[in-house]
Amino acid sequence: MKLRDTIRTSARALTINKMRSALTMLGIIIGVGSVVLMVSVGRSFEGYILDQIDSFGGGAIDLYPTGFEKFGQTLDSLKFEDYEAVKRLSTVESIAPVIIVTEKITYGTEEASPMVFGTTKEIQRNYGLKLDLGRFIDERDVKSASSVAVLASETAENLFGNANPIGERIRIGERFYTVIGTLKTVGSLLLQDLDEFVYVPYSTARSVTGQRYLSYINLLAVGDDKLAQQDIKTILRKRHSIRNPEDDPDKDDFLVRSSEQVTEIINSVSLGLTAFMGLIAGISLLVGGIGIMNIMLVSVAERTREIGLRKALGARRQDILFQFLIEAVALTIAGGVIGIIGALLLGLVLTAVAGKFLGDISFAMSLPAVLAAALMAGVIGVAFGLYPARKAAALSPMEAIRWEG
Amino acid sequence: MPKVPLIQTKALCKSYFNEELETPVLFDLDLTIQEGEFVSIMGPSGSGKSTLMHILGFLDNITSGQYLFRGKPTRTMSDDELAQIRATRVSFVFQAFNLLPRTSVLDNVMLPLLYHPTIPVYEREDRARKAIEKVGLTDRADYLTNQLSGGQQQRVAIARSLVTEPDLIFADEPTGNLDSKSGVAVMEVLQDLHKQGHTIILVTHEMSTAQHAQRIIQLLDGKVDKDSTNFKRIIAKKSNTLK
Repeated sequence: MKLRDTIRTSARALTINKMRSALTMLGIIIGVGSVVLMVSVGRSFEGYILDQIDSFGGGAIDLYPTGFEKFGQTLDSLKFEDYEAVKRLSTVESIAPVIIVTEKITYGTEEASPMVFGTTKEIQRNYGLKLDLGRFIDERDVKSASSVAVLASETAENLFGNANPIGERIRIGERFYTVIGTLKTVGSLLLQDLDEFVYVPYSTARSVTGQRYLSYINLLAVGDDKLAQQDIKTILRKRHSIRNPEDDPDKDDFLVRSSEQVTEIINSVSLGLTAFMGLIAGISLLVGGIGIMNIMLVSVAERTREIGLRKALGARRQDILFQFLIEAVALTIAGGVIGIIGALLLGLVLTAVAGKFLGDISFAMSLPAVLAAALMAGVIGVAFGLYPARKAAALSPMEAIRWEG
Repeated sequence: MPKVPLIQTKALCKSYFNEELETPVLFDLDLTIQEGEFVSIMGPSGSGKSTLMHILGFLDNITSGQYLFRGKPTRTMSDDELAQIRATRVSFVFQAFNLLPRTSVLDNVMLPLLYHPTIPVYEREDRARKAIEKVGLTDRADYLTNQLSGGQQQRVAIARSLVTEPDLIFADEPTGNLDSKSGVAVMEVLQDLHKQGHTIILVTHEMSTAQHAQRIIQLLDGKVDKDSTNFKRIIAKKSNTLK
């Protein structure tokens, strides 16, 4: 039998049995598509999370108070004097103390509930904030505890819409503040939307809250951040009279966390996530594979009789095998391509929708997932496509024609 | 030198095996059929007539004994050699037609030509249309087989068996699934083919069908019971359904 005839025969068989072809392809599409979609979407979110940490800047360190939180009382172990002491360390730069003020903000009838940070100018560099209008908080503001505020992009929009907020007065709690600057959109940081923040001078926040302690301290390490962390621990333990040569974090009343540590944690989380996605993908491929297998096995009886007839009319074993191979390959390729393209399109749409809520998230296609899915679909498709042919071609024509399944 | 018979079996035995259980169907069967004969193989159901036809037509293998085709032993033939004989020398008309469903009459008739090693591609449609004409279905060539009546489907199957111009045509109860009028038409086509020089082996359990042949072989319990020339030959009348 000539190759052209075999190809034409395969094409006829596929078009004549449209339902069977469509169902087989559907199995492959679902199998391949779910693998590609799952893994790619997983990877996109992983990339998104890692981006968040990246924007935090390398070498960034957060210093938190820890300990037992009594009812109605916040952790107060991190004092202003601790900040002063850490600031003097040679391994530390660009240090920003933070007091979080939980007050409603109003401007006329407009209302917003952003995070209000009482801090210093250093936070701008540490968080990578870019000015849109006006200026950021400076040293003079902090020194004089002036009532000024810098609005992040979303807060500015919520309160002022498209109007220019510079020079306007907003109310935070009981006090009025003059807006001195607005920021450009930066997106999220560790799932906190930075664009919903308001920044006021640290000293001002301190006086309105009457707070003698800090919510946290944000700083950058000079050089090796392990060294900086060690210096910070040493000086804080000394100041708080904590003996902790074992470096047991439970004994400290503070926590030093570098962005790299966070990255590591998130990396392991996202690795777990990817593995989990892969597992789901593997299961969906298995389900898809079983779907393909089923539809092929259901048609075995019919196809076995067809093979018997073809053999009775003079087909050689290789003619039969070749015809079925071409059919299986055609279905697998068509189904695989549709599955991959469909999954990528769906993934793009899903990440675009997710981006509406989470900010910047870019779709990451997972090439290994595409290849693995294609490979597995190919193997399953061809193996089960050839299965009836191999079985039937081994029978005598009459046995095959009489086949009842 | 005596003429080499087209078909010769010597002590041919066939058993079916079902999980070690042996069911013998044919034993020690000796039979000779010459080229150009029209032979009916008769017998009650279970006598082994269909099995014999399948073996003679290379659709099934033998358990022991010999089957010589044009003097050549067939047991030692390879799969591909058998396929080649099926493609070029023999053809079948099955009781159940065995046409490809959802496929046109023309494509069904052309099917054996796909597997024929020597007939060139450009001759295929011509040959198929001529075969369809012989069975009187010219105006149905482009119909799908499932749009035809049983008698018409059987004529498609006959056209398919003619298209490679084989030495030998086997017909297994070709009228079994047909009404009497369609049956007559089918028998008429077979007799025409015989007149044109084809060797025809007809398997049936009905004497009235068997009597269309020149020679009637009767099987009983896997052996030849009677083998005689048919002196009461029936000639199928020209019917209106054909031509």
